[in-house]
Amino acid sequence: MKESIVRKTSNYLWLALLMVFTLLPFAWLIDTTLKPDSEMFSTVPTWIVSSLTWDNYRWALGDTGLQLPRLLLNSIAACGMTALVTGVIACISGYGLARYKVPGAGLVVVLIVLAQMIQGPLIMIPWYKMAAAFSLLNTKTILVMIYGTLTIPVGVWIMSGFFRTLPNELEEAAAIDGAGKWRTLLTVMIPLSLPGLVSISLYAFILGWNDYQYSLILTSSISAKTVQVGIAELMESMGSTNWGGLLASGVIVILPIVVIFAFIQKYLIEGMTAGGVKG
Amino acid sequence: MSDLLELRRPSSPLIRRRGRASAFLKEFGFGYVLLAPVVLYIVAFQFYPLAETIRLSLFDYSLISGRGMSFNGFGNYKELLLNDSNFWSIFWNSLVWVLGSTVLQFAIAIPAALVLFNKIRLRGLWRGLMMVPWVSPVVIIGIVWKWIYDGHYGLFNHYLKALGIISENIVWLGDEKWVWPALLLTSAWKGFPYITLMMLSGLTGISREMIEAAHMDGASAWQRFVRITLPMLKPIMYATGLVSIVSSWTKFEMIWALTNGGPGYSTSILPTYLYTNSFVYFDLGRGSAIATLSMAIVLILVGVYARTFGRNLE
Repeated sequence: MKESIVRKTSNYLWLALLMVFTLLPFAWLIDTTLKPDSEMFSTVPTWIVSSLTWDNYRWALGDTGLQLPRLLLNSIAACGMTALVTGVIACISGYGLARYKVPGAGLVVVLIVLAQMIQGPLIMIPWYKMAAAFSLLNTKTILVMIYGTLTIPVGVWIMSGFFRTLPNELEEAAAIDGAGKWRTLLTVMIPLSLPGLVSISLYAFILGWNDYQYSLILTSSISAKTVQVGIAELMESMGSTNWGGLLASGVIVILPIVVIFAFIQKYLIEGMTAGGVKG
Repeated sequence: MSDLLELRRPSSPLIRRRGRASAFLKEFGFGYVLLAPVVLYIVAFQFYPLAETIRLSLFDYSLISGRGMSFNGFGNYKELLLNDSNFWSIFWNSLVWVLGSTVLQFAIAIPAALVLFNKIRLRGLWRGLMMVPWVSPVVIIGIVWKWIYDGHYGLFNHYLKALGIISENIVWLGDEKWVWPALLLTSAWKGFPYITLMMLSGLTGISREMIEAAHMDGASAWQRFVRITLPMLKPIMYATGLVSIVSSWTKFEMIWALTNGGPGYSTSILPTYLYTNSFVYFDLGRGSAIATLSMAIVLILVGVYARTFGRNLE
C-alpha cells in the first residue's frame, strides 16, 4: 500500500518533469508575445506580465511588416489542395494495396517505403530545374506537386492499414448485391474508413503547412510563398529587433496545427504505430 | 498425349496468349488501376529526380557561370573530396548531427515512454501534449529556441545561472563550442515524441504477466527494465532508429532555421552545404554531387547500422 503511494507520486513527478520539458518553450513563447518591449528585453527574464499588450499580434496581422494574412492564404490554398490530392490517392491506392494481391504488389510496397526516404535535398535540384523548365517557379501548383513527396507515400501506407482492419465480408456482400468494384469502393469501403481518410488528409495539411525546405527553393514572390518562408525571411532581416512581432506571428502559425492535431491524433497515432509495428 | 500437343501447338500460341492476357487483366487489372496513381507519382516525382540528381552530378552545371551544361565526369567529386577544405569538416559535422540527435532522442524517448505507459490519469491528454513539438513547424521552433538561447535576454542562460551551472551569459548559437550542444538539444526536443510513440506501441506488446512474475521473484525495477523491457523493445527500437537516422540525414531545415549552418561553416552538414552551393551560389552540378555523396554515405551508414544492431533480432 505504502509502496504504491510512493510509486504513484513518483509517476506523477516524472510526468510533470516531462511536460515541463515538452511545453516550457511554448509557454515562454506565448508569455513573451503578451509583453511590451520594455518587459521583454529585461536582463532578468520573468514570467510575470505586468502590462499586458496585444500590440505584437496587431503588428503581426497588420500590413506594416510581413503581410501575414496574405501568406496564410497562400499556405491554406497550397496545403488544402495537397490534403485533397493526398486523400484521393491514399484512398484509391491504399485500397489496392490492402485488398488486391496483384503480382508485383511486394515491389510496390518496397517502392513506397523507399519513397518515404527520398526527400528534400536528394531531389531538390531536379525539382528546381523541372519547375523552371515548365515555368512553375513561384506558383502554388508546384508546391502542391512537391508536397506530395511528403504526403502521398505515407498517406497510402497508413490508409492501406485502415482498409485492412475492415472485414472482407463487406466486399463479398456488396458483390452479391450486384455492386461493381468501383461502386463497392465508393459506397461501402470509403464511408466506413472515413475517419481514417479525414485524418490522413488533415495530416497531409499539417505536413505541407510545416514544410520549409521546398517552399524555400521554389517560391519567393508574395503571390506564392508560404508563411514559413515569410517568417524565416523576416527573422533574417529584422530578427533581433522585433522579437515580439516575430514570436506573435509564430503563435498564429502554430495554432491551427495544434487544433487540427488535437482532432486527428487518435486515428493518426493508431495508423502510424500500426504501420511501424508491421515494419 | 505428346502427339496431341504437337498438333495443337502451331495453331494456338497467339490465341492462347491473348486468352491468358485477358484472363490476367480480368483478375488483376483493377488492382493495377488502383495502384497506378501512387506508383506513377513516386516514380515520376521521387525516383526519377533521384536518378536525375546522380546524372547532374557528372556535369559542370552552374547557373551563374553562363557556360551552360557540359559533361565533367567525376570532376565535381574530385573537387569536393580533394580540393575543398570545408568538405571533410562538414562530413564530420553530419555524422555528429545524425548520431548525436538520434542517441539523444532515444535517451529522452525511452524514459518518456515508460512514464506515459504507467497508469496515470488523463493519459491520452498527456500523450497528445507530448506530441506537440513534433507537429510544430520547424521555422517557428527555430525562432522560439533562438529566443530561449538568446545571449542577453534568453531563458536558458537565466536558468543555468540560477542553478549555478554557468556564471556568465553564453551566446549559445554564436559560439563554435556551444552551438552543437544547443542544436542537438533542440533537435532532440523536436524529434523525441515520434520515437516515444513508437516505444509506447512496442511496450503495449510486452506481457504484463512476465513483468509481474519478475517482480514476484524479487527483481528490482532496474533489473526488470534491463532484462525484460529493453530486450522486448529491441525490434521496434531497431526499426525506429533506422527511420530516425535516415530522416535526420536528409533534413536540413532545423539547422538552417537556427544557424544557417554558421557561424562560418561550423554547423554546416551535407544537406545545408548542398543548399548553399545549389541555391546561393547556383552551382547545381556541385550541389548534385554533394547530394549523391550524401546518399552513398547514408547507405553505408544504414549498412553499418544493420550489421551492428540487426544481427541479434529474431
